[in-house]
Amino acid sequence: MISFNNVSVSFDLPNGESRTVVENVSMDLGRSDMAYLIGPTGSGKSTLLRLLYMDRFPDEGVAQIGDYRSDLIDRSEIPYLRRSLGVVFQDFQLLPDRSAYDNVAFALYATGKKRSEVKSRTMKALTRVGLNHKRSNFPHELSGGEQQRVVIARAIANDPWVLLADEPTGNLDPVVADEIQELLVSLHRQGMTLMMATHDYRLVKKYPARTFALMNRQLIEIDPESL
Amino acid sequence: MLPYSIREGIANFRRAKFAVFASTSAMSVALVLVGLFALVTFEAQNVSSWLRDRVGEVEVFVDEDASTRQAEALHTRLQTIPAVSTTTFVSREEAQKIFAEEFGEGAEIYDDGPFLPASVRLQLKTSYIHTDSISQMASQIQSFDHVDDVVFDQALLARVQQNVRLVSLAGLVLGAIVILAAIFLVGNTIRLTIYARRLLIRTMKLVGATDAFVRRPFLVEGVLQGLIAGTVASGIVWGLYRLMLRELPDLAISYAFPNAEWALAGGIVVAGVLLGWLGSFFAVRRFIKSVDIH
Repeated sequence: MISFNNVSVSFDLPNGESRTVVENVSMDLGRSDMAYLIGPTGSGKSTLLRLLYMDRFPDEGVAQIGDYRSDLIDRSEIPYLRRSLGVVFQDFQLLPDRSAYDNVAFALYATGKKRSEVKSRTMKALTRVGLNHKRSNFPHELSGGEQQRVVIARAIANDPWVLLADEPTGNLDPVVADEIQELLVSLHRQGMTLMMATHDYRLVKKYPARTFALMNRQLIEIDPESL
Repeated sequence: MLPYSIREGIANFRRAKFAVFASTSAMSVALVLVGLFALVTFEAQNVSSWLRDRVGEVEVFVDEDASTRQAEALHTRLQTIPAVSTTTFVSREEAQKIFAEEFGEGAEIYDDGPFLPASVRLQLKTSYIHTDSISQMASQIQSFDHVDDVVFDQALLARVQQNVRLVSLAGLVLGAIVILAAIFLVGNTIRLTIYARRLLIRTMKLVGATDAFVRRPFLVEGVLQGLIAGTVASGIVWGLYRLMLRELPDLAISYAFPNAEWALAGGIVVAGVLLGWLGSFFAVRRFIKSVDIH
């Protein structure tokens, strides 16, 4: 499960002042659930996701994902937490000097998997995202949608129980965005927990799920139909 | 099959040719500087040993009343002193001959029989050539039977010793500057090349690689670069040294250190490997800490 319990986060600005991003927010999401985090740019959606993969820690309160709690985790445990989840970004973050296959395989090697296991898992992940036929292509030879599929393949190659997606369709045109969204929803339907930050309300309405809106540093659950 | 970190380390040579070339070149330049400095240090030690050998001579004058047998006995006793490397006995007749040669014209006026005392010249071992130990030894010898006087050039020895100390100190300071400059140059270049690959570090962290795992391919790469740079620098320093020997054969560093040439060449390669490893270790450690995933 995923939860935020009275979480507050603030950032130090370059001028020395402090800016509170979220204040005293709480929410729960069960295993195999799906939820959207919506809100305008800069409202703190990415910050909340960062708390979950522990790239940043709350100033107050507790963020929990699975068995890992932000207030109890040791720094050396963070890599193992990240192996249990998949993360997808808007800006792809593929390694440009490696093929689609190597980009996915790299994530598995990085977690100490053996070569034979890496091969079978990589092929399986690329097949799940429908990109097996382009495994030898480099990122610059792939379209935006295809690049995002490789990122999703990389994120699911380790068989994570949860997928955190930060504006995964933000750089894609509506048709491709729908394809990617369908892929993510299909992964959720196969049992994966999905938490997705987006400001694309069209997608939220088209593929409805629990929706949390970040407004004025607060997190409120809303009805997606009301958007 | 090679482990992943070694395969990655080698593959990075192909992927980031320019970065690898830049840091290997920087390391080579730094190692040539360090190697040349080591060569100069060897030479300074060489000259210092040579100078000390020249001033490390003590002359023990035999009592005029001593018989030939007593003089020989003294000579034998002097040979047993641990600090003595070689001895030469100069009889009264030989002393007279040397005097005549050195005095030149007019020496014949002193030609009415040997008037100079016999002596034993002691060449000391290099490690014993210090004003304090020679003075101590001289007073010890002075107490031997049939010794008239013990003479050595204390002033010259003190001067040589002082200058050697000064040169060593200057060398130490210069060496520290050269080594610091080399570390700074290599450290910065490696940091830049690793900075260029921060996306790789970020992605590795994102997918759950441990810090040690992220570090390993960079360390392999650093060691390989260091090995190449060390070999290149070793070749350059060796070549320059051989070139110098062709003009100045007396400056062979093996005068004071028999295996110095091999030690220097091997030392540069080892220094290269160490430099590559350390440079990569600190640079990548810093980035692992500072790179945010998002």
